[in-house]
Amino acid sequence: MKTGDAFSVKTLPQELQESLPDVYVDDLLVSLKYFIDEEQSHLKIKDHAVCARCEHKPCIDFCPVGVYSLAHDGKIQVAYQACVECGSCRVGCPYKNIEWTLPRGGFGVAYKFG
Amino acid sequence: MNNNDEKIRFDAIVVGAGLAGSAAAMVMARAGLNVALIERGQKAGGKNYFGGAIYTHAIGEVLPDYMERKPPFERPVTEAGFWFLSKDGGLTRMTVQGGKLANEPADAYMASRAVFDVWWAEQAQKAGALLIPKTSVVDVIWDGEQVVGVKTDRAQGDVYAPVVIVCEGVNNLLTQKLGLIDHDLEPAHMALAFKQVIALPMDTINARFGLPDDQHGLAVSVLGDVSLGLPGMGFVYTNKTSVSVGLGVMLDAVVEYKLKPYEILQRYLRHPAIAPLVKGGQLMEYGAHLIPEGGYRDMPKLYTGGAMVAGDAASMVNALHWEGTNMAIVAGELAGETAVAAHQRGDFSAQSLSQYEARLKDRFILQDMKQYRNFAHFLETHPTFMDAYPGFVNDALGQFFSAYGMPKKTLFKNILGSLTSRRQLMKAVGDILSMGRAVMGW
Repeated sequence: MKTGDAFSVKTLPQELQESLPDVYVDDLLVSLKYFIDEEQSHLKIKDHAVCARCEHKPCIDFCPVGVYSLAHDGKIQVAYQACVECGSCRVGCPYKNIEWTLPRGGFGVAYKFG
Repeated sequence: MNNNDEKIRFDAIVVGAGLAGSAAAMVMARAGLNVALIERGQKAGGKNYFGGAIYTHAIGEVLPDYMERKPPFERPVTEAGFWFLSKDGGLTRMTVQGGKLANEPADAYMASRAVFDVWWAEQAQKAGALLIPKTSVVDVIWDGEQVVGVKTDRAQGDVYAPVVIVCEGVNNLLTQKLGLIDHDLEPAHMALAFKQVIALPMDTINARFGLPDDQHGLAVSVLGDVSLGLPGMGFVYTNKTSVSVGLGVMLDAVVEYKLKPYEILQRYLRHPAIAPLVKGGQLMEYGAHLIPEGGYRDMPKLYTGGAMVAGDAASMVNALHWEGTNMAIVAGELAGETAVAAHQRGDFSAQSLSQYEARLKDRFILQDMKQYRNFAHFLETHPTFMDAYPGFVNDALGQFFSAYGMPKKTLFKNILGSLTSRRQLMKAVGDILSMGRAVMGW
Protein backbone atom coordinates (compact mmCIF):
# COMPACT_ATOMS: atom_id res chain seq x y z
CA MET A 1 0.00 0.00 0.00
CA LYS A 2 1.37 3.38 -0.99
CA THR A 3 1.28 6.01 1.71
CA GLY A 4 1.13 9.78 1.96
CA ASP A 5 0.26 11.70 -1.19
CA ALA A 6 1.07 8.59 -3.24
CA PHE A 7 -1.89 6.74 -1.72
CA SER A 8 -4.47 5.80 -4.30
CA VAL A 9 -7.68 3.84 -4.17
CA LYS A 10 -8.73 0.78 -6.14
CA THR A 11 -12.20 -0.16 -7.24
CA LEU A 12 -13.95 -3.50 -7.18
CA PRO A 13 -15.74 -4.79 -10.25
CA GLN A 14 -19.13 -3.06 -10.33
CA GLU A 15 -21.07 -6.28 -9.77
CA LEU A 16 -19.16 -6.99 -6.57
CA GLN A 17 -19.39 -3.41 -5.35
CA GLU A 18 -23.14 -3.50 -5.82
CA SER A 19 -23.41 -6.81 -3.97
CA LEU A 20 -22.39 -5.08 -0.73
CA PRO A 21 -25.43 -4.40 1.44
CA ASP A 22 -25.92 -1.12 3.30
CA VAL A 23 -25.34 -1.68 7.00
CA TYR A 24 -26.03 0.78 9.77
CA VAL A 25 -23.03 0.21 12.01
CA ASP A 26 -24.81 1.43 15.15
CA ASP A 27 -27.04 -1.65 14.91
CA LEU A 28 -23.88 -3.69 15.51
CA LEU A 29 -22.34 -1.42 18.14
CA VAL A 30 -25.28 -1.91 20.50
CA SER A 31 -24.02 -5.46 20.98
CA LEU A 32 -20.75 -4.16 22.46
CA LYS A 33 -19.99 -3.29 26.03
CA TYR A 34 -17.80 -0.26 26.74
CA PHE A 35 -16.42 1.54 29.77
CA ILE A 36 -16.27 5.01 28.27
CA ASP A 37 -13.63 7.47 29.42
CA GLU A 38 -15.68 10.67 29.48
CA GLU A 39 -12.63 12.81 30.19
CA GLN A 40 -10.18 12.04 27.44
CA SER A 41 -9.93 10.46 24.01
CA HIS A 42 -7.21 7.91 23.35
CA LEU A 43 -7.38 8.75 19.62
CA LYS A 44 -6.28 12.09 18.25
CA ILE A 45 -5.85 13.50 14.78
CA LYS A 46 -2.26 14.72 14.74
CA ASP A 47 -2.84 17.46 12.18
CA HIS A 48 -6.24 18.31 10.69
CA ALA A 49 -4.53 20.02 7.76
CA VAL A 50 -3.21 16.60 6.71
CA CYS A 51 -6.75 15.15 6.74
CA ALA A 52 -7.91 18.11 4.68
CA ARG A 53 -5.25 17.27 2.12
CA CYS A 54 -6.10 13.55 2.18
CA GLU A 55 -8.16 13.06 -0.95
CA HIS A 56 -9.77 9.70 -0.20
CA LYS A 57 -10.17 9.69 3.60
CA PRO A 58 -10.28 5.87 3.73
CA CYS A 59 -10.56 5.84 7.55
CA ILE A 60 -14.22 6.77 7.18
CA ASP A 61 -14.77 3.40 5.52
CA PHE A 62 -12.18 0.94 6.80
CA CYS A 63 -12.63 1.50 10.53
CA PRO A 64 -14.65 -1.59 11.50
CA VAL A 65 -16.77 0.36 13.97
CA GLY A 66 -17.12 3.65 12.10
CA VAL A 67 -15.15 5.82 14.53
CA TYR A 68 -14.24 8.34 11.81
CA SER A 69 -16.74 10.53 9.99
CA LEU A 70 -16.83 13.83 8.19
CA ALA A 71 -18.26 16.70 10.24
CA HIS A 72 -20.29 19.54 8.74
CA ASP A 73 -17.22 21.76 8.77
CA GLY A 74 -15.37 19.22 6.62
CA LYS A 75 -13.12 18.06 9.46
CA ILE A 76 -12.70 14.43 10.41
CA GLN A 77 -14.44 13.79 13.70
CA VAL A 78 -13.42 10.97 15.99
CA ALA A 79 -16.06 9.02 17.92
CA TYR A 80 -13.45 7.37 20.13
CA GLN A 81 -16.20 6.02 22.38
CA ALA A 82 -17.00 3.35 19.75
CA CYS A 83 -13.39 2.26 19.30
CA VAL A 84 -12.62 -1.45 19.76
CA GLU A 85 -8.87 -0.74 19.88
CA CYS A 86 -8.07 -2.95 16.90
CA GLY A 87 -5.33 -0.62 15.64
CA SER A 88 -6.43 -0.57 11.97
CA CYS A 89 -6.32 3.24 11.86
CA ARG A 90 -2.95 3.30 13.62
CA VAL A 91 -1.30 1.43 10.76
CA GLY A 92 -3.88 1.97 7.99
CA CYS A 93 -4.06 5.78 7.86
CA PRO A 94 -2.09 6.55 4.68
CA TYR A 95 -0.55 9.60 6.37
CA LYS A 96 0.00 7.98 9.79
CA ASN A 97 -1.92 10.98 11.05
CA ILE A 98 -3.61 9.31 14.01
CA GLU A 99 -2.06 9.42 17.43
CA TRP A 100 -3.16 6.06 18.79
CA THR A 101 -2.69 5.34 22.46
CA LEU A 102 -4.22 2.81 24.81
CA PRO A 103 -7.33 3.94 26.66
CA ARG A 104 -6.60 4.54 30.32
CA GLY A 105 -6.61 1.33 32.33
CA GLY A 106 -10.08 -0.19 32.63
CA PHE A 107 -11.63 2.01 29.93
CA GLY A 108 -12.58 1.19 26.38
CA VAL A 109 -14.16 -1.89 24.90
CA ALA A 110 -14.91 -4.81 27.22
CA TYR A 111 -15.64 -7.87 25.13
CA LYS A 112 -18.15 -10.28 26.68
CA PHE A 113 -17.34 -13.13 24.30
CA GLY A 114 -14.33 -12.19 22.20
CA MET B 1 18.20 8.87 43.73
CA ASN B 2 14.95 7.50 45.01
CA ASN B 3 14.97 5.59 48.20
CA ASN B 4 14.89 2.00 46.94
CA ASP B 5 12.47 0.93 49.63
CA GLU B 6 9.74 3.23 48.30
CA LYS B 7 9.64 1.53 44.92
CA ILE B 8 7.07 -1.11 44.10
CA ARG B 9 9.17 -4.16 43.33
CA PHE B 10 8.48 -7.58 41.95
CA ASP B 11 10.72 -10.39 40.73
CA ALA B 12 9.06 -10.20 37.33
CA ILE B 13 6.46 -8.14 35.48
CA VAL B 14 4.23 -9.46 32.73
CA VAL B 15 2.42 -6.93 30.53
CA GLY B 16 -0.89 -8.33 29.30
CA ALA B 17 -2.95 -11.16 30.80
CA GLY B 18 -3.68 -12.92 27.53
CA LEU B 19 -2.63 -16.41 26.53
CA ALA B 20 1.11 -15.68 26.46
CA GLY B 21 1.14 -13.42 29.52
CA SER B 22 -0.74 -15.68 31.91
CA ALA B 23 1.33 -18.68 30.76
CA ALA B 24 4.53 -16.77 31.55
CA ALA B 25 3.14 -15.62 34.91
CA MET B 26 2.06 -19.18 35.79
CA VAL B 27 5.49 -20.67 35.11
CA MET B 28 7.33 -17.96 37.07
CA ALA B 29 4.95 -17.93 40.04
CA ARG B 30 5.18 -21.71 40.32
CA ALA B 31 8.96 -21.38 40.54
CA GLY B 32 8.47 -19.08 43.51
CA LEU B 33 8.92 -15.71 41.83
CA ASN B 34 6.88 -12.72 42.95
CA VAL B 35 5.03 -11.85 39.72
CA ALA B 36 2.93 -8.82 38.72
CA LEU B 37 0.56 -9.62 35.84
CA ILE B 38 -0.64 -6.26 34.54
CA GLU B 39 -3.80 -6.11 32.41
CA ARG B 40 -5.33 -2.98 30.89
CA GLY B 41 -8.84 -4.41 30.58
CA GLN B 42 -11.44 -4.67 33.32
CA LYS B 43 -10.70 -8.39 33.24
CA ALA B 44 -8.20 -10.65 31.53
CA GLY B 45 -9.25 -11.24 27.93
CA GLY B 46 -11.55 -8.23 27.81
CA LYS B 47 -9.62 -6.79 24.88
CA ASN B 48 -9.10 -10.08 23.11
CA TYR B 49 -10.89 -11.38 20.11
CA PHE B 50 -10.35 -14.39 17.90
CA GLY B 51 -12.18 -16.93 15.71
CA GLY B 52 -11.81 -19.34 17.29
CA ALA B 53 -10.39 -22.44 18.78
CA ILE B 54 -7.71 -23.15 21.37
CA TYR B 55 -5.25 -26.03 21.06
CA THR B 56 -4.96 -28.25 24.09
CA HIS B 57 -1.40 -29.40 23.38
CA ALA B 58 -0.25 -25.93 24.43
CA ILE B 59 -2.59 -25.65 27.42
CA GLY B 60 -1.54 -29.11 28.62
CA GLU B 61 2.13 -28.28 28.31
CA VAL B 62 1.80 -25.39 30.77
CA LEU B 63 -0.95 -26.94 32.89
CA PRO B 64 -0.96 -30.75 32.69
CA ASP B 65 -4.08 -31.13 34.87
CA TYR B 66 -6.05 -28.51 32.92
CA MET B 67 -9.12 -30.70 32.42
CA GLU B 68 -9.56 -31.15 36.18
CA ARG B 69 -9.50 -27.37 36.54
CA LYS B 70 -12.62 -27.13 34.39
CA PRO B 71 -11.63 -24.81 31.57
CA PRO B 72 -14.62 -22.88 30.19
CA PHE B 73 -14.39 -24.45 26.75
CA GLU B 74 -17.23 -24.39 24.29
CA ARG B 75 -17.61 -27.40 21.99
CA PRO B 76 -14.63 -29.58 21.07
CA VAL B 77 -13.55 -29.38 17.43
CA THR B 78 -14.77 -32.76 16.14
CA GLU B 79 -15.14 -31.68 12.53
CA ALA B 80 -12.73 -29.35 10.78
CA GLY B 81 -11.83 -28.34 7.28
CA PHE B 82 -12.75 -26.02 4.45
CA TRP B 83 -15.95 -24.79 2.92
CA PHE B 84 -15.94 -23.28 -0.53
CA LEU B 85 -18.71 -20.82 -1.37
CA SER B 86 -19.51 -20.24 -5.01
CA LYS B 87 -20.89 -17.07 -6.52
CA ASP B 88 -24.10 -18.81 -7.56
CA GLY B 89 -24.87 -19.80 -3.97
CA GLY B 90 -23.22 -23.22 -3.95
CA LEU B 91 -21.31 -24.80 -1.12
CA THR B 92 -18.59 -27.44 -1.33
CA ARG B 93 -17.56 -28.96 1.99
CA MET B 94 -14.20 -30.56 2.54
CA THR B 95 -14.08 -31.52 6.18
CA VAL B 96 -12.68 -34.31 8.28
CA GLN B 97 -14.26 -35.91 11.33
CA GLY B 98 -13.50 -38.93 13.48
CA GLY B 99 -9.94 -40.24 13.67
CA LYS B 100 -7.76 -37.85 15.63
CA LEU B 101 -10.67 -35.46 15.91
CA ALA B 102 -12.48 -37.96 18.15
CA ASN B 103 -9.72 -37.77 20.78
CA GLU B 104 -10.69 -36.94 24.36
CA PRO B 105 -9.83 -34.42 25.52
CA ALA B 106 -9.97 -32.96 22.03
CA ASP B 107 -6.97 -31.46 20.26
CA ALA B 108 -8.82 -28.16 20.09
CA TYR B 109 -11.88 -26.54 21.63
CA MET B 110 -13.97 -23.59 20.59
CA ALA B 111 -13.74 -20.82 23.17
CA SER B 112 -14.62 -17.22 23.92
CA ARG B 113 -11.48 -15.30 24.77
CA ALA B 114 -13.26 -12.95 27.16
CA VAL B 115 -14.28 -16.03 29.16
CA PHE B 116 -11.35 -18.36 28.60
CA ASP B 117 -8.65 -15.78 29.38
CA VAL B 118 -10.25 -15.03 32.76
CA TRP B 119 -9.89 -18.71 33.69
CA TRP B 120 -6.36 -18.84 32.26
CA ALA B 121 -5.31 -15.81 34.34
CA GLU B 122 -6.93 -17.43 37.41
CA GLN B 123 -4.55 -20.35 37.00
CA ALA B 124 -1.66 -17.88 37.15
CA GLN B 125 -3.22 -16.29 40.24
CA LYS B 126 -3.62 -19.71 41.88
CA ALA B 127 0.08 -20.28 41.27
CA GLY B 128 0.73 -17.06 43.17
CA ALA B 129 0.91 -14.29 40.54
CA LEU B 130 -0.70 -10.96 41.37
CA LEU B 131 -3.16 -9.89 38.67
CA ILE B 132 -3.36 -6.10 38.42
CA PRO B 133 -6.29 -5.25 36.11
CA LYS B 134 -7.51 -1.87 34.79
CA THR B 135 -3.92 -0.71 34.41
CA SER B 136 -2.33 0.36 31.14
CA VAL B 137 1.44 0.14 30.78
CA VAL B 138 2.57 3.24 28.91
CA ASP B 139 6.34 2.87 28.86
CA VAL B 140 9.32 0.91 30.09
CA ILE B 141 11.87 2.13 32.63
CA TRP B 142 15.51 1.88 31.65
CA ASP B 143 18.70 1.85 33.65
CA GLY B 144 21.32 2.22 30.95
CA GLU B 145 20.99 -0.74 28.59
CA GLN B 146 18.78 -2.61 30.98
CA VAL B 147 15.00 -2.58 31.39
CA VAL B 148 14.22 -2.37 35.10
CA GLY B 149 10.46 -1.82 35.19
CA VAL B 150 7.38 -0.28 33.59
CA LYS B 151 5.43 2.96 33.84
CA THR B 152 1.69 2.50 34.23
CA ASP B 153 -1.08 5.07 33.98
CA ARG B 154 -1.83 4.82 37.70
CA ALA B 155 -0.76 7.50 40.15
CA GLN B 156 2.71 6.57 41.46
CA GLY B 157 2.38 3.82 38.91
CA ASP B 158 6.02 2.87 38.30
CA VAL B 159 6.59 -0.81 38.95
CA TYR B 160 10.07 -2.32 39.09
CA ALA B 161 11.40 -5.81 38.35
CA PRO B 162 14.65 -7.12 36.91
CA VAL B 163 12.75 -8.83 34.09
CA VAL B 164 9.71 -7.71 32.09
CA ILE B 165 7.84 -10.01 29.70
CA VAL B 166 5.85 -8.01 27.15
CA CYS B 167 2.73 -9.78 25.88
CA GLU B 168 0.92 -6.67 24.75
CA GLY B 169 -0.74 -8.07 21.65
CA VAL B 170 -0.74 -6.98 18.04
CA ASN B 171 -0.47 -3.24 18.73
CA ASN B 172 3.19 -3.46 19.62
CA LEU B 173 3.75 -0.03 21.17
CA LEU B 174 6.01 -1.25 24.00
CA THR B 175 7.90 -3.61 21.72
CA GLN B 176 8.76 -0.55 19.64
CA LYS B 177 9.71 1.42 22.75
CA LEU B 178 12.01 -1.45 23.71
CA GLY B 179 13.77 -0.94 20.37
CA LEU B 180 13.05 -4.55 19.38
CA ILE B 181 11.41 -3.42 16.14
CA ASP B 182 11.77 0.01 14.59
CA HIS B 183 8.55 0.31 12.61
CA ASP B 184 4.82 -0.36 12.63
CA LEU B 185 3.81 -3.50 10.78
CA GLU B 186 2.69 -2.93 7.18
CA PRO B 187 -1.06 -3.04 6.46
CA ALA B 188 -0.21 -5.60 3.77
CA HIS B 189 1.07 -7.91 6.52
CA MET B 190 -1.95 -7.69 8.78
CA ALA B 191 -5.39 -9.21 8.47
CA LEU B 192 -8.32 -7.23 9.76
CA ALA B 193 -10.60 -9.87 11.23
CA PHE B 194 -14.18 -9.21 12.23
CA LYS B 195 -17.05 -11.43 13.21
CA GLN B 196 -20.45 -11.73 14.76
CA VAL B 197 -21.29 -14.03 17.62
CA ILE B 198 -24.84 -15.13 16.92
CA ALA B 199 -26.94 -16.87 19.56
CA LEU B 200 -29.00 -19.90 18.56
CA PRO B 201 -30.56 -22.69 20.62
CA MET B 202 -28.29 -25.69 21.11
CA ASP B 203 -30.65 -28.06 19.29
CA THR B 204 -30.87 -25.69 16.34
CA ILE B 205 -27.08 -25.59 16.06
CA ASN B 206 -26.90 -29.37 16.29
CA ALA B 207 -29.52 -29.80 13.57
CA ARG B 208 -28.19 -27.15 11.20
CA PHE B 209 -24.57 -28.26 11.40
CA GLY B 210 -25.24 -32.00 11.60
CA LEU B 211 -23.82 -32.37 15.09
CA PRO B 212 -25.22 -35.10 17.38
CA ASP B 213 -24.93 -33.03 20.57
CA ASP B 214 -23.03 -30.17 22.21
CA GLN B 215 -19.99 -32.38 22.67
CA HIS B 216 -19.46 -32.17 18.92
CA GLY B 217 -18.43 -29.02 17.12
CA LEU B 218 -17.46 -27.76 13.70
CA ALA B 219 -14.63 -25.37 12.85
CA VAL B 220 -14.14 -24.44 9.22
CA SER B 221 -12.22 -21.97 7.12
CA VAL B 222 -14.45 -20.60 4.39
CA LEU B 223 -13.02 -19.75 0.98
CA GLY B 224 -14.43 -18.53 -2.28
CA ASP B 225 -17.23 -15.95 -2.47
CA VAL B 226 -16.38 -14.52 0.93
CA SER B 227 -13.83 -11.73 0.69
CA LEU B 228 -14.78 -10.07 -2.62
CA GLY B 229 -11.89 -11.70 -4.42
CA LEU B 230 -9.45 -9.96 -2.09
CA PRO B 231 -6.86 -11.86 -0.04
CA GLY B 232 -8.87 -13.12 2.88
CA MET B 233 -10.71 -16.04 4.38
CA GLY B 234 -13.90 -16.62 6.30
CA PHE B 235 -14.58 -18.87 9.24
CA VAL B 236 -17.43 -20.56 11.07
CA TYR B 237 -17.07 -21.89 14.60
CA THR B 238 -19.85 -23.56 16.55
CA ASN B 239 -20.08 -22.78 20.24
CA LYS B 240 -22.60 -24.45 22.56
CA THR B 241 -25.39 -21.93 22.09
CA SER B 242 -23.91 -19.55 19.55
CA VAL B 243 -21.96 -19.55 16.33
CA SER B 244 -19.03 -17.29 15.46
CA VAL B 245 -19.10 -16.25 11.82
CA GLY B 246 -16.59 -13.83 10.44
CA LEU B 247 -13.70 -13.26 8.14
CA GLY B 248 -10.27 -11.77 7.86
CA VAL B 249 -9.18 -9.60 4.94
CA MET B 250 -5.72 -8.15 4.49
CA LEU B 251 -5.84 -4.62 5.89
CA ASP B 252 -4.20 -2.94 2.88
CA ALA B 253 -7.01 -4.25 0.67
CA VAL B 254 -9.72 -3.00 3.06
CA VAL B 255 -8.05 0.43 3.08
CA GLU B 256 -7.30 0.70 -0.63
CA TYR B 257 -10.74 -0.45 -1.74
CA LYS B 258 -12.38 1.79 0.87
CA LEU B 259 -14.45 -1.10 2.16
CA LYS B 260 -16.63 -1.13 5.23
CA PRO B 261 -15.81 -4.36 7.10
CA TYR B 262 -19.33 -4.72 8.46
CA GLU B 263 -20.73 -4.63 4.92
CA ILE B 264 -18.37 -7.40 3.79
CA LEU B 265 -19.48 -9.41 6.81
CA GLN B 266 -23.17 -8.80 6.15
CA ARG B 267 -22.73 -9.87 2.54
CA TYR B 268 -21.08 -13.09 3.73
CA LEU B 269 -23.86 -13.72 6.24
CA ARG B 270 -26.40 -13.37 3.43
CA HIS B 271 -24.72 -15.93 1.18
CA PRO B 272 -27.31 -18.64 0.38
CA ALA B 273 -25.11 -21.27 2.01
CA ILE B 274 -24.56 -19.27 5.22
CA ALA B 275 -27.87 -17.44 5.74
CA PRO B 276 -29.91 -20.57 6.66
CA LEU B 277 -27.30 -21.48 9.26
CA VAL B 278 -27.68 -18.23 11.20
CA LYS B 279 -31.35 -17.54 10.43
CA GLY B 280 -33.33 -16.32 13.42
CA GLY B 281 -30.19 -15.96 15.51
CA GLN B 282 -29.62 -13.00 17.78
CA LEU B 283 -26.51 -10.86 17.51
CA MET B 284 -24.62 -11.21 20.78
CA GLU B 285 -21.45 -9.39 19.86
CA TYR B 286 -19.74 -7.80 16.91
CA GLY B 287 -16.07 -6.92 17.05
CA ALA B 288 -12.80 -6.63 15.20
CA HIS B 289 -9.12 -7.33 15.74
CA LEU B 290 -5.90 -7.27 13.77
CA ILE B 291 -3.85 -10.40 13.15
CA PRO B 292 -0.13 -10.00 12.47
CA GLU B 293 0.35 -12.28 9.48
CA GLY B 294 3.71 -11.05 8.25
CA GLY B 295 5.43 -14.12 9.64
CA TYR B 296 9.09 -14.63 10.42
CA ARG B 297 10.27 -11.55 8.55
CA ASP B 298 8.06 -9.32 10.69
CA MET B 299 9.19 -10.77 13.99
CA PRO B 300 10.95 -8.30 16.27
CA LYS B 301 14.15 -9.08 18.09
CA LEU B 302 12.78 -11.20 20.92
CA TYR B 303 14.77 -9.93 23.90
CA THR B 304 16.91 -7.17 25.23
CA GLY B 305 18.51 -6.55 28.61
CA GLY B 306 15.75 -7.21 31.17
CA ALA B 307 12.92 -7.79 28.70
CA MET B 308 11.40 -10.39 26.38
CA VAL B 309 8.41 -10.31 24.03
CA ALA B 310 5.91 -13.10 23.24
CA GLY B 311 2.67 -13.75 21.34
CA ASP B 312 1.05 -11.43 18.79
CA ALA B 313 3.42 -8.63 19.82
CA ALA B 314 6.16 -10.81 18.34
CA SER B 315 4.09 -11.77 15.24
CA MET B 316 3.94 -15.38 16.39
CA VAL B 317 1.19 -16.37 13.99
CA ASN B 318 1.16 -19.05 11.32
CA ALA B 319 -1.43 -17.59 8.98
CA LEU B 320 -1.76 -20.62 6.73
CA HIS B 321 -2.65 -22.95 9.62
CA TRP B 322 -4.54 -20.40 11.69
CA GLU B 323 -2.14 -20.99 14.55
CA GLY B 324 -1.28 -18.29 17.01
CA THR B 325 -2.90 -19.09 20.33
CA ASN B 326 -0.75 -22.18 20.75
CA MET B 327 2.42 -20.31 19.86
CA ALA B 328 1.54 -17.55 22.31
CA ILE B 329 1.04 -20.02 25.15
CA VAL B 330 4.26 -21.94 24.52
CA ALA B 331 6.28 -18.76 23.92
CA GLY B 332 4.94 -17.33 27.19
CA GLU B 333 5.98 -20.53 28.93
CA LEU B 334 9.48 -20.41 27.44
CA ALA B 335 9.91 -16.73 28.33
CA GLY B 336 8.80 -17.56 31.88
CA GLU B 337 11.30 -20.41 32.10
CA THR B 338 14.03 -18.13 30.80
CA ALA B 339 13.20 -15.55 33.49
CA VAL B 340 13.33 -18.24 36.18
CA ALA B 341 16.75 -19.37 34.95
CA ALA B 342 17.92 -15.74 34.85
CA HIS B 343 16.89 -15.35 38.48
CA GLN B 344 18.87 -18.47 39.39
CA ARG B 345 21.91 -17.00 37.69
CA GLY B 346 21.20 -13.49 38.96
CA ASP B 347 21.89 -12.31 35.41
CA PHE B 348 19.23 -10.43 33.43
CA SER B 349 21.48 -9.15 30.66
CA ALA B 350 20.55 -9.53 27.01
CA GLN B 351 23.15 -12.28 26.85
CA SER B 352 21.40 -14.18 29.64
CA LEU B 353 17.91 -13.71 28.15
CA SER B 354 19.10 -14.83 24.71
CA GLN B 355 18.29 -18.28 26.09
CA TYR B 356 14.65 -17.44 25.27
CA GLU B 357 15.39 -17.38 21.57
CA ALA B 358 17.39 -20.59 21.84
CA ARG B 359 14.41 -22.26 23.53
CA LEU B 360 12.05 -21.02 20.79
CA LYS B 361 14.41 -22.41 18.15
CA ASP B 362 14.24 -25.82 19.78
CA ARG B 363 10.49 -25.86 19.41
CA PHE B 364 7.90 -25.67 16.65
CA ILE B 365 7.55 -21.93 17.11
CA LEU B 366 10.70 -20.57 15.50
CA GLN B 367 11.06 -23.68 13.34
CA ASP B 368 7.60 -23.19 11.80
CA MET B 369 7.94 -19.43 11.60
CA LYS B 370 11.16 -19.87 9.69
CA GLN B 371 9.80 -22.64 7.49
CA TYR B 372 6.88 -20.44 6.44
CA ARG B 373 8.93 -17.26 6.20
CA ASN B 374 8.05 -16.71 2.53
CA PHE B 375 4.35 -17.45 2.80
CA ALA B 376 3.23 -13.92 3.65
CA HIS B 377 5.18 -12.67 0.67
CA PHE B 378 3.63 -15.38 -1.49
CA LEU B 379 0.11 -14.20 -0.66
CA GLU B 380 1.13 -10.61 -1.23
CA THR B 381 2.44 -11.41 -4.69
CA HIS B 382 -0.40 -13.82 -5.56
CA PRO B 383 -3.45 -11.78 -4.56
CA THR B 384 -5.86 -13.91 -6.62
CA PHE B 385 -4.75 -17.14 -5.01
CA MET B 386 -7.53 -17.16 -2.43
CA ASP B 387 -10.15 -16.43 -5.06
CA ALA B 388 -9.34 -18.35 -8.22
CA TYR B 389 -8.82 -21.84 -6.79
CA PRO B 390 -11.80 -22.01 -4.42
CA GLY B 391 -13.96 -20.89 -7.33
CA PHE B 392 -12.46 -23.66 -9.43
CA VAL B 393 -13.10 -26.33 -6.79
CA ASN B 394 -16.78 -25.42 -6.71
CA ASP B 395 -17.10 -25.40 -10.47
CA ALA B 396 -15.17 -28.61 -10.92
CA LEU B 397 -17.13 -30.60 -8.37
CA GLY B 398 -20.40 -29.04 -9.47
CA GLN B 399 -19.78 -30.14 -13.04
CA PHE B 400 -18.35 -33.53 -12.11
CA PHE B 401 -21.53 -34.56 -10.33
CA SER B 402 -24.01 -33.13 -12.79
CA ALA B 403 -25.39 -35.06 -15.73
CA TYR B 404 -25.42 -32.59 -18.56
CA GLY B 405 -26.08 -35.15 -21.26
CA MET B 406 -22.66 -34.43 -22.68
CA PRO B 407 -19.76 -36.76 -23.38
CA LYS B 408 -17.40 -37.01 -20.42
CA LYS B 409 -14.54 -35.87 -22.62
CA THR B 410 -16.37 -32.56 -23.02
CA LEU B 411 -17.05 -32.46 -19.27
CA PHE B 412 -13.37 -32.72 -18.40
CA LYS B 413 -12.55 -30.17 -21.05
CA ASN B 414 -15.05 -27.84 -19.40
CA ILE B 415 -13.57 -28.44 -15.98
CA LEU B 416 -10.12 -27.67 -17.29
CA GLY B 417 -11.60 -24.61 -18.97
CA SER B 418 -13.02 -23.53 -15.66
CA LEU B 419 -9.52 -23.53 -14.22
CA THR B 420 -7.82 -21.87 -17.16
CA SER B 421 -10.44 -19.14 -17.37
CA ARG B 422 -9.38 -18.21 -13.85
CA ARG B 423 -5.71 -18.74 -14.15
CA GLN B 424 -3.55 -19.72 -17.08
CA LEU B 425 -2.48 -23.31 -16.68
CA MET B 426 1.20 -22.46 -16.62
CA LYS B 427 0.55 -19.83 -13.98
CA ALA B 428 -1.42 -22.35 -11.96
CA VAL B 429 1.57 -24.68 -12.04
CA GLY B 430 3.74 -21.70 -11.10
CA ASP B 431 1.43 -20.92 -8.15
CA ILE B 432 1.79 -24.44 -6.86
CA LEU B 433 5.55 -24.28 -7.16
CA SER B 434 5.87 -20.93 -5.43
CA MET B 435 3.42 -22.02 -2.74
CA GLY B 436 5.62 -25.08 -2.27
CA ARG B 437 8.69 -22.89 -2.08
CA ALA B 438 7.01 -20.61 0.42
CA VAL B 439 5.73 -23.37 2.68
CA MET B 440 7.95 -26.37 2.17
CA GLY B 441 11.12 -24.51 1.27
CA TRP B 442 11.39 -26.26 -2.17
